[in-house]
Amino acid sequence: MNIQQLIREDEVHRDVYVSEDVFALEMDRIFGTAWIYVGHDSQIPDPGDYWTTRIGLESVVMARGKRDEINVFYNRCPHKGARIAADGCGHTKGLFRCPYHAWTFNLDGTLKGVPYLDGYENTRFDMADPRFSLKKVARVASYRGFVFASLSETAADFESFIAGIKSSLDNFCDRAPNGTVSVAGGVFRVVQRSNWKIFFENLNDTGHPIATHESSYRAARQYADEKLGGELPFELHIIDGNGAPPKFWSDLDLHAFDFGHSYMTAIFNAPDDPLSQAYFASLSAKVGEDRAKEILGVNRHNTIIYPSCSPHTSFQQWRVIRPLSVDRTLVEIFTFRLDGAPEELLQRTFTYSNVVNSPSSIVMTDDVHVYAECQKGLATQGGDWVSQHRNAGQDLPFSGADGGEIGVGTSELPIRNQFRAWREYMTSDVAETIPLQSSEP
Amino acid sequence: MRAAHTPLTRASEVPYETLCQFLYQEARLLDQRKFGQWNDLFAEGGMYWIPLEEDQEDPLNHLSLAYEDSMMRQVRINRLNHDRAWSQKPRSRTSHTVSAIVVEAVCEVSNQLIVGSAFTMAEWRSFGLRTFAGLYTHTLRVTDGRLQIVEKRVDLIDSSEAFEPIEVFI
Repeated sequence: MNIQQLIREDEVHRDVYVSEDVFALEMDRIFGTAWIYVGHDSQIPDPGDYWTTRIGLESVVMARGKRDEINVFYNRCPHKGARIAADGCGHTKGLFRCPYHAWTFNLDGTLKGVPYLDGYENTRFDMADPRFSLKKVARVASYRGFVFASLSETAADFESFIAGIKSSLDNFCDRAPNGTVSVAGGVFRVVQRSNWKIFFENLNDTGHPIATHESSYRAARQYADEKLGGELPFELHIIDGNGAPPKFWSDLDLHAFDFGHSYMTAIFNAPDDPLSQAYFASLSAKVGEDRAKEILGVNRHNTIIYPSCSPHTSFQQWRVIRPLSVDRTLVEIFTFRLDGAPEELLQRTFTYSNVVNSPSSIVMTDDVHVYAECQKGLATQGGDWVSQHRNAGQDLPFSGADGGEIGVGTSELPIRNQFRAWREYMTSDVAETIPLQSSEP
Repeated sequence: MRAAHTPLTRASEVPYETLCQFLYQEARLLDQRKFGQWNDLFAEGGMYWIPLEEDQEDPLNHLSLAYEDSMMRQVRINRLNHDRAWSQKPRSRTSHTVSAIVVEAVCEVSNQLIVGSAFTMAEWRSFGLRTFAGLYTHTLRVTDGRLQIVEKRVDLIDSSEAFEPIEVFI
């Protein structure tokens, strides 16, 4: 069966979620070519700082070089193959040193020293040969501090890739009085027993909150009714939002763009309290009141930068999606300081993340549960096709500045849009035939 | 057992056996899903805290796996008791083991004690059995003749690891 036959306009074959062959091909065709989020430059402020992460299944290191440049290379010593940097953030003084035989590398990955060098005389080893240096990834690009990399020399350029959702990245940073943001407060990491695409589909899915999150928004309302006369403090407000009535969801806007990107308009607003007022004052002082209002008027819920990350612009949160296997996905949650804003605003960002995205979130747990249930159900013989019919054929071109397409808030436009990009990535070179796990085409 | 029923007055005079009983009883309430009674053990303003980092000093200016006041604890309890808590089907079952209980500090002025202990919690979920392990640090206060929790700090030995959702109190 051809990969093209897994995708229809309004449904996809279950093999895209459960086939290990499809997953292997995704690692090659999608994660091996697309621009993948690596990290933020504030994680590595000084030369020698590094951040070890993944692009697809590849371990990579993002390192700040001597000339302040950012290098991204594969985490593999060219000698015996050992990883030269541990996971997470670290600092090295001037060079990377392999823990196995002490080969050393400059911060840009080039080979610096090899012990017992005389033993390499009259061999085919050559210090200057790039294959004895750390291998750099094909391309690195960044926008306002957000660093992306592509393992392919020839896939789409970064400017085209980022075009549709550039306004979300701008808004993420423009909200800072100084115009810059920095990673703060640690990283949450959550494992999901489901395919990475299921999580992406959920990020702009407005059909699920009322059903999936009933236990948490009812729990919050119960407390508010019993103890607070119906008042909802910030923590309960953001939980309660999931229980908004159907019309609330359909009245939202969904915007979709090339490469599978999309965003939805906000589902809850920051409270109008003294902290918000102090923050507004700090922003106005730098950019003027009109511009501050314009910046905060761009109020979005999740933006999707397919296939690796999802910023939440109004609460300074950034989720990174790392596929682990066909049925296992790691999600990392980063929080950012708005440079120049009152420090208490960062505390509100942490509170938001603690409630909504901590591994112990009472909201997210039901999401993660239903993703796993989908993964289990899709593995059965109960049906081969997965519906994306909601508002299919009803999405319209958007005439505003960002372009792209627009759909009603409850449209499955973002999901169909992700699979349009998926098909392009997966069929870009040759229409390769792969064996299917299921019986019926 | 007799000590547990004797009204307490001074933190410095709380018998060691009473402290042990208190910590065991607290863990047992969780294992029996008597979450409301468990929440009543906290002092007004008492906090339940699972830091994200080893030696994390600050719950406000850093992410935490959990940092919950009585409101957020009660909302978590409300959810655990809700019929449509999908991920609680089947519901979590837990078994705590608390040991190595030591009094780390006593403050006469605030009438508080800091009690350290080691714990493991086995939890059965739909995806199998898993184990949490770490150190508890209880800040306890003597009020109205009994012990109350000012802060329960749960330092998991793998706090910065990737987790599947954590739903019940550890």
